[in-house]
Amino acid sequence: MEAHVFSNLAVVVLLALGAATVVFVRRNRLWSEALAELWRRRRFSVLVVGLYVLIALLDSIAWVGGTGANGASIEAFEARSVIDRLFAGTRESSYSAPLADHAFYGGKPLEAPGTHLLGTDILGRDVLHRTLKGARVALLIGGVTTLIAIPLALLFGVTAGYFGGRLDDAVFFVMSTLASIPGLLLLIALIMALGKGTWQVCLALGVTGWVGLSRVVRGETLKLRELDYVQAARALGVSELRIVVRHVIPNLMHLVIITFVLMFSGLVLSEAILAWLGIGVDGSWGQMIDQARDELSRVPVVWWNLTAAAAALFGLLLAVNFVGDALRDILDPRTLREDG
Amino acid sequence: MSGGSQSSLREGREAAAVARPLRWAGLSVAGLLLGGLLACSNDPYPQADADRKVYYTALREAPRTLDPAEAYNVTAHAITGNVYDTLLEYHYLKRPYTLIPGLAEAVPEAEPQPDGGVIYRFRLREGLLFAPDPAFALGGEGRTTREVVAADVAFQLMRLADPEENSPVVDPFSNIAGFREFQQALVAAREADPELASLPPHEQYARVGGIEGVRVLGSHDLEIALSGPYPQILYWFALEFSTPVPWEAVAWYDGVTRDRFDDHPVGTGPYRLTEYDKQFRVILEANPNWYGVQNPEWKAPGAVYPSEGEPGDAEAGLLPPDVVGQPLPFIERIEFRREKESIPTFNKFLQGYYDASGIVKESFDKIVQNDRLSPEMAERGIELSKSIKPTIFYLGVNMNDELLGHPAGERGRLLRQAISHAVDEEQWIELFVNGRGIPAQSPVPPGLFGYEPEYENPARVYDPDRARKLLAEAGYPEGIDPETGKPLRINFDSYATSSAQLLQEQFIADALRAVGLDVRIDATTYNQFQGKVQDGRYQMFFWGWSADYPDPENFYFLLTCDMRRAESGGPNYTNFCDPEFDELFARMRVRDNDEERLAVMREMRELLERERPWIEIHHPETYGLTHAWLKHRKSFGISFPMTKYQDLDVAKRAELRRAWNEPITWPAWALAGVAIAVVVPGIRTFFRERQ
Amino acid sequence: MLAYVIRRLAYGALVVLGVLLFLFVLFFTVATPDDIARRALGDKATPEMIDTWKANHGYDRPLWPWQDPSDNLLVSHYTSLLGFDFGRSDVDDAPIGQRIREGMGPSLALTVPMFVIGLGLGLLLSLFVAFFRETYIDRAGVFLCVLGMSVSILLYIIGAQVLIAQLLRWYPISGFDPDPDVVARFLILPIVVGVVSSVGSDVRFYRTVFVEESSRDYVRTARAKGAGELRVMAQHVLRNGMIPILTRVVLAIPFLFTGSLLLESFFGIPGLGSITVDAIRGNDFATLRVMVYIGALLFVLGQVLTDVSYSLADPRVRLE
Repeated sequence: MEAHVFSNLAVVVLLALGAATVVFVRRNRLWSEALAELWRRRRFSVLVVGLYVLIALLDSIAWVGGTGANGASIEAFEARSVIDRLFAGTRESSYSAPLADHAFYGGKPLEAPGTHLLGTDILGRDVLHRTLKGARVALLIGGVTTLIAIPLALLFGVTAGYFGGRLDDAVFFVMSTLASIPGLLLLIALIMALGKGTWQVCLALGVTGWVGLSRVVRGETLKLRELDYVQAARALGVSELRIVVRHVIPNLMHLVIITFVLMFSGLVLSEAILAWLGIGVDGSWGQMIDQARDELSRVPVVWWNLTAAAAALFGLLLAVNFVGDALRDILDPRTLREDG
Repeated sequence: MSGGSQSSLREGREAAAVARPLRWAGLSVAGLLLGGLLACSNDPYPQADADRKVYYTALREAPRTLDPAEAYNVTAHAITGNVYDTLLEYHYLKRPYTLIPGLAEAVPEAEPQPDGGVIYRFRLREGLLFAPDPAFALGGEGRTTREVVAADVAFQLMRLADPEENSPVVDPFSNIAGFREFQQALVAAREADPELASLPPHEQYARVGGIEGVRVLGSHDLEIALSGPYPQILYWFALEFSTPVPWEAVAWYDGVTRDRFDDHPVGTGPYRLTEYDKQFRVILEANPNWYGVQNPEWKAPGAVYPSEGEPGDAEAGLLPPDVVGQPLPFIERIEFRREKESIPTFNKFLQGYYDASGIVKESFDKIVQNDRLSPEMAERGIELSKSIKPTIFYLGVNMNDELLGHPAGERGRLLRQAISHAVDEEQWIELFVNGRGIPAQSPVPPGLFGYEPEYENPARVYDPDRARKLLAEAGYPEGIDPETGKPLRINFDSYATSSAQLLQEQFIADALRAVGLDVRIDATTYNQFQGKVQDGRYQMFFWGWSADYPDPENFYFLLTCDMRRAESGGPNYTNFCDPEFDELFARMRVRDNDEERLAVMREMRELLERERPWIEIHHPETYGLTHAWLKHRKSFGISFPMTKYQDLDVAKRAELRRAWNEPITWPAWALAGVAIAVVVPGIRTFFRERQ
Repeated sequence: MLAYVIRRLAYGALVVLGVLLFLFVLFFTVATPDDIARRALGDKATPEMIDTWKANHGYDRPLWPWQDPSDNLLVSHYTSLLGFDFGRSDVDDAPIGQRIREGMGPSLALTVPMFVIGLGLGLLLSLFVAFFRETYIDRAGVFLCVLGMSVSILLYIIGAQVLIAQLLRWYPISGFDPDPDVVARFLILPIVVGVVSSVGSDVRFYRTVFVEESSRDYVRTARAKGAGELRVMAQHVLRNGMIPILTRVVLAIPFLFTGSLLLESFFGIPGLGSITVDAIRGNDFATLRVMVYIGALLFVLGQVLTDVSYSLADPRVRLE
């Protein structure tokens, strides 16, 4: 299957999931109150995160053909996203400053003078375009990692915590083994062994992120198992699987969500370090920063590359961190504390 | 509720009582910090070395080995080239490169033999000594050195043949008669007698009997017999691979009870290694046993400053009368500091802490304007020198590929020609090396025999329209593959280790996309890339090659059938194989530099114009910067350090370093002022309000 | 008590064995010895050279015990690392053990002051913020912490190098020299960057602990009895808050030995982090393996020590 079809399907699935969540939240008093509280406290941050998500979604919807191919034949055959289409025909030959009408070096007139809000990079690509595309990469890193880590963590954390015994011992052993390897080194070792690429990086991040979450889940399951209504369900002969699915997992979800929102910034920051080591994800802000950091020595200084990527990264993480903090305060004022 | 107000009252009073010492503590910390700032300095070297003739240079990566049989890259040669002298050397100033005698008394002449072989006779200087080293105790109690004899060269040549040493230069030395036979005999003897392998190498070699074509006649005469003509062999005697190596050092530094020989060179050069910390620094000190120091009266060509150079050298200050004929070396110590990042390294050069440097591309416009030093840099006394490196960067095509290579026949040829017309190498040079380079027209770089500056490769003209036409001729109009109705999909296999390198490859991919080819970069790690090469799953790649010695043979051999990666694991990554080309190569390889050789090379060039396994990009041009205090330095394209010919004006260096590195302290004061102005009233107001 | 300590140690040992297995699978089966050889020998390597290299490094042996029980890579991997025989680098054959001993000094010179200053500053700032909790100082403090946490460490490093070293010329941009006259000037900048980049998350964590602690009943009682806020903070909150803080701090100590990958590389400090980055860039799996192993070993050791000291302080812990 072509990559863009897959990407479009993913958008549809995500939107459907989003709609389902809205329906669920509306019906569930606890969650709707919590989210209302979040909105009240951190309106601005939520809006910022929403904006990033919107950009990422727009960059994920892509199709072949259509307008704006600007003569170059290859583009007509390629899937281009909504964001790509906004920037069609803005390719220059090399650097230009923000809103300039001539090239940075040589002073040749530009193809699209005055339209590059954040200038262009060494290959003449619009920096704003690349920065916006970075949102998709960042959320992809966070999202795919989540998709890998949450099921793993739930599977292992819940089974270990709920059934206990040998199983618990085994899972706990694997967890403590992985947890005792320094995080960044584990990440690097995994990527070096798996190879370079978006999926490999996400897989490695998922494997490293899974452990922390699994621990939280296991601990909480241990507590839930002893609660009256779970004991009662068991006494009534409800099957174990049904108890886990109906009673345990729903009561873990808030922890999972909080942990992940708080983990998100760590994931994106780790990717920036990987980019510096040359094993990051193509098109990420980390890669942009790494490509642009030496440009600061140019005279006159080429600052817009680095600034754009750094600001985009900073903005997203700041908003996510604020949302995460607020969520933690609202959903779980006491039991959960970020450690490490 | 009244209790609350009471406690807050008390709190306020307590806080006020604590606030005063806090304020004092704060002030004293600020004072300490400011004191630290005033005493700060960015001088990275201990004061004690300030007035010694120490040459400082950066070490970008740690060399893997310093064993002269193995070391094969620029970083290693920067050290081994100073530590190991060779039988022959290059003249410091003359261009084209000219050989002069080094440890040998004269440059030998080829003596053709009736059986088709060739003999070269070397005579070593008498009284040469190795650098002092405890290893020589093996030859007699309390000895720290000994005389260099012809057998030491023979020993090293045998080491090259020894498969255990993994020498990368077995091929060229195989021209010596009996070289391969010795190699096989050694392997066979080791298999037959496992005991043998536990002996020190020199005893093993003695048992096997030596190389037939390496004849040691007395202590100072050496005869090298080649099985056929191979004039390039003399260049190999100017490289550290053929330096005399004492058997004592190899036996002593066995890597078990002591250091490894790879980390502990014992040689005959003007310097010797005294500290070797790969992460931190490498120090070379002048060798007291060097023949230039021991026997200055010889006035040996490699031990005194030369009296003649190429036209223009005198004007460039490279032949100062007070230096010509003076004994070498001038610099007493060479200190390499490990530097991983290019920008900090370059900035340290600008601050005067490195004596010479290349230019990082980002700072180019600050340093060079209109192809000359910027006024700011010229005012600092920095000098600019340019030299073309005998190196080529090219875009290679896997000729075993179904779409692009030999199997695709004429269509593949047209496709490669189209690609060749689509890449604008001048723009590439402009963007990525600030125009420091020469657009490559053929595999042979400038400075080598057979490079013709006026030659323009008709296939390397940037012409996207022509590229599109060729695509149509190949059966892919507008780049569309008629079978799929979509643009032709080509993988560009990248193993970029840095984001910057990836940008360069992106440029090439974009250029090919512009003519309608759907080129996608497949970025992997180096290992994955090698895996793809192994399995033949690669189409296009970006690669470079640097000359080992100044002869075009060292470039054209990269395209011969024998060197194919897929067949023999050789460095012909394109797997290009053309019997006609091989036949021409065999002819040019053995000829001296004459008209006939040139004619053959022109034929090879024409063949490549048509076949296009390589799309040549550029020959890099090195811009070297030196500070005014580094005297009579001339840049040398091939990787020879040539440090012994250079000198430092230490007093001038110290003075300029001081002048350039006065710290700017006012921001610290300003910052401290602002901090005090904000924090102190803030805290005061706060306590007042709380009260 | 002794039984607990032994059990705890045995479990730690088991985890170390697990780490070693993980490393083996990662580094021997996924990346083949051929890859490593080619990387070590460079572009000019021939197949014969690669075979010799593999034989010289013992990589030509079978992987698993069931292929050859007497001589295989798995067993030698375990015996050598457990015996602290780290072998030689894949890239340059240098003895890894010696390199680690050389790198330890510069790494500690960087990480110990960074740790101490970071801890001191973090505690000071968090007490300050917690003291003024629920005021604008608190909110501003937390805001600044989150702000600081949202910036990539790459940017801190680039900023410090450009501003302080390059423009103001206060300290060398990078480099190191163990000479006591000059060693400090190389370390100040990386220490400052290290402290600044981590102080945000530290302060936020400590503050949570202190705020939580200061809302506990006994603190309220102390306050109700008329103890001043400063005294409450110093006597009760700080002391009782130290337990979760110490857990976090003690677990960070092992990593002082493994150095800092980014700071050491950018600032040219020849420590263990620098060695690790070289190993990553050069595909030196042998060195990387050892670095991961040492990191894990120290971590496990730190954990065991923490647990044992807890159980000494509070016997109930053992019941868990």
